[in-house]
Amino acid sequence: MALYLIARIDQEIVALPATEIGSVVEVDQIAAVPRVPSHVAGLFALRSRVLTVIDTRTSLGLGGIDRTAEMTAVIVECDGHSYALLVDEVEDVIEAGQPEPCPALLSASWRRAAKGTIRRGEDAILLIDPAVVVAGPEPLAA
Amino acid sequence: MDDLLTDFIAETRETLEALAGEIVAWEADPADKTRLDAIFRFVHTVKGSCGFLDLPRLGNLSHAAEDCLAEVRSGARTPDAALVSAVLAIIDRIGELTDALEANATLPEGEDEFLIAALAQGHAAPAAENSPAIAKISVMPTHAPTRTISRSIRLPVELLDRMMAGVSDMVLARNELSRLLRVGGGNSATDVAFERLSLCVGEMRDSITRTRMARIEALFSALPRMVRDLAAELGKTVKLEVDGGDVELDREMIEMIRDPLTHIVRNALDHGIETPEDRRRAAKPEMGRLRIGARQAANQILIEVSDDGRGIDAERVVRKAITAGLVTSEQAAAMSWSRKLDLIFEPGLSTADHVTGVSGRGVGMDVVRANIERIGGTVDIESNPGQGLRLSLRVPLTLTIIPALTVSSNGTLFAIPRSAIDELVRPKSDQVRIERLGGELVVFIRGTRLPVVDLGRFMELTDEAEPALLVVLRAGGGERYALGVEAVHDHEELVVKPAAPALMASGVYAGTTLPDNSRPMLLLDVAGIAAAANVRRDQSVAEEAPVEKRKVKAALPTLMFRDLDGVVRGVRLALVERIEDVATASVIETGGVQMVPLQGRLTKLHSASALPASERLRLLRLSDGDGAVAYAIDQVIDVVDLHAELAPTPMAGPIAGVVLHEGSPIEILDPFWLFTNGAAHPADDHSPLCLVADAEDPWAREVLAPLLGAAGYRVTFAGEATEDRVSVVVTSSGDAPEGVDAPVVRLRGTPDHNGDESIYRYDRDGLLSALRRHVAGGK
Repeated sequence: MALYLIARIDQEIVALPATEIGSVVEVDQIAAVPRVPSHVAGLFALRSRVLTVIDTRTSLGLGGIDRTAEMTAVIVECDGHSYALLVDEVEDVIEAGQPEPCPALLSASWRRAAKGTIRRGEDAILLIDPAVVVAGPEPLAA
Repeated sequence: MDDLLTDFIAETRETLEALAGEIVAWEADPADKTRLDAIFRFVHTVKGSCGFLDLPRLGNLSHAAEDCLAEVRSGARTPDAALVSAVLAIIDRIGELTDALEANATLPEGEDEFLIAALAQGHAAPAAENSPAIAKISVMPTHAPTRTISRSIRLPVELLDRMMAGVSDMVLARNELSRLLRVGGGNSATDVAFERLSLCVGEMRDSITRTRMARIEALFSALPRMVRDLAAELGKTVKLEVDGGDVELDREMIEMIRDPLTHIVRNALDHGIETPEDRRRAAKPEMGRLRIGARQAANQILIEVSDDGRGIDAERVVRKAITAGLVTSEQAAAMSWSRKLDLIFEPGLSTADHVTGVSGRGVGMDVVRANIERIGGTVDIESNPGQGLRLSLRVPLTLTIIPALTVSSNGTLFAIPRSAIDELVRPKSDQVRIERLGGELVVFIRGTRLPVVDLGRFMELTDEAEPALLVVLRAGGGERYALGVEAVHDHEELVVKPAAPALMASGVYAGTTLPDNSRPMLLLDVAGIAAAANVRRDQSVAEEAPVEKRKVKAALPTLMFRDLDGVVRGVRLALVERIEDVATASVIETGGVQMVPLQGRLTKLHSASALPASERLRLLRLSDGDGAVAYAIDQVIDVVDLHAELAPTPMAGPIAGVVLHEGSPIEILDPFWLFTNGAAHPADDHSPLCLVADAEDPWAREVLAPLLGAAGYRVTFAGEATEDRVSVVVTSSGDAPEGVDAPVVRLRGTPDHNGDESIYRYDRDGLLSALRRHVAGGK
């Protein structure tokens, strides 16, 4: 059994492995960063740390998130850098068993990010790899 | 040397501990190649350090073990139990000697030979276990010296970084608490407790910052050996003078400077200093001189390498550059001497006519410059053909804290490393002209044409292409361009951290930083922007006009600010050490003088009018190199180049004179007045020693001594032992104490003049000038 954080991105309920998550914070003022890939929303200061904010929707190819309101972000560490992944809502933290393989009919953007599915009661929930979200959408040429 | 020895002991012990497991595994399986390699590396390292630290016993032992292991590695010998035991015995002995070294004890000699002899091939047959030498080894622990408790430990840098981050968080938390306390209204007990906490946090930040610092000696200590070996190889005699080894800088920085410095020293020996015959012919002493010195200058470390060799002939450099196709002869003709000399930093130019074993192997001065600039430093060269060459490296104190200028375009702030900035200019002034050439902006500054990169347009923030201010930047490799910005804000020191890969991949950012206002900001990569904006070097080299000479004496960078009384004034930027915000409440007034605690020292505060009622006060910390004063201001406006010549003001005071800037007169602060009126000049070991004869007189102790101390003298009383020479004696009762050979200043108790040379004891100016006269006369 392992712990998972359950969040909503766009209309999709997803799970993130709790071991990879530092904390969940409210993000307000994001400092914009020009000339970077569109899934990088900007920088955000959490105490003395500077986090790179990732627009999870853009990263998954779902269109941008509404960046005007106060947003919820999941803090993850990736290659020694701290990132804030913007999500629409954090619902819960649950315990679940080993992830199962993904169903075959996922859209391309989800297929890349999903590591499998976990069970919450009757529902199957997609398990997302934070590193893929941080890396952003695939280059068009590839 | 002590530091090096401590490092060596700590390192050896650490490796020994790590090696313990390997040794046992090797013993179990002598054919194990990886274990063998680990042990070989260990004895090899020890051998290397021993030669360097002059530890012959350890050197002999490790050398013998290394030779033997090398044979095993090459397959010339097969390891057997006897060999393994002999090597292990030597490793044990190295451990013991290291312990003894630390405890400052000596171990009996003589036994080393046994151990070394035991390594010899065929020394002991399979019956090794019974041979006397090995038997002796197995009872070796009888010597185990008492381990002293080590006063030095090794820590991973990552842990230091975490501590640093923790302290930074603490400082932010303190600032927030301070805000809350002010809003909540003062309770004096809470305030006192908070002040103490503040102080502790500040001290802790300082000491943690210091853990990252090391003495530059770590870099210099390898030079004597290197110079000696190189000189011998080249058949030259060179005297090396090293100075300033106690200057401290960031450990990582030391590593970054190591290669460039080595390269410069090699060059100096190989190409700079001539052979003894050549030197004789040039009427120079046969022994060449190489000086290497380090010192701290404001927020930078200055490392100078100078030799008295043949120097570099700029004309020859130019000829080479023309041959190599780096410049055209027309361009060359228009260049100044220093500009020509700068060409040696161009890639693909070596002044060595032939490649030697020492230098000229394709790594040139361009690499030196690139390496130094990468860490935010600069390299300057001064050549005096036939007389010598001086290279000055200026590097920031740390990699992580850099002085930067904050600029903005369309409301977005960016930081630019101060070291990359040449000057700030306004497009509207008469020496500066912006033009459009083939759709691109160029600017003519005093006759030199530079490409313009508009920050707002480059960053896709705005379409505006008529910048309000131009920041002239050096992009490395001699390229210059002007960055158009909307406004210039602050000059501050920023803690810079690497940005996420997605940001670094853009190529235009050098890192992220978090200023005090908690709004993250990006540090611009000056060279990266030049590349991304397609600034070509030929665009920036062209059209050097003869106006250059006028510029040299004309303008000085000046910080313009709005003073507390609302007047815009200026102060020469070189004097401004930093801009600081302090709590207004921390200013104390004593005897009509305002003082403010800055960096743990009470510093005199000048202000043009009464301090504002606001909570925070903005200060300029001005420094003349050793003394410091503070000047309260309202806000910083800009940094501009202002005329060096002032129209002087008739009266002595804080204003030195007036200078015209864009048609309006600007008052320039008089540093001389500010520093003479209140800079704290603490007495140090070199200050003149003043002996007060009346040791029993309370007036002398309570009134006179503090006055002398404040005037920069060291004070001693008659009867106290002192090793230094007394410069002057002050007495109000009679004569100087016996046995003291120094001029005497006599004081009298009444203001009336009574005919002798005595001075009224409350005549401060008279007393101090008499002291100065005598101290100067005594030298």
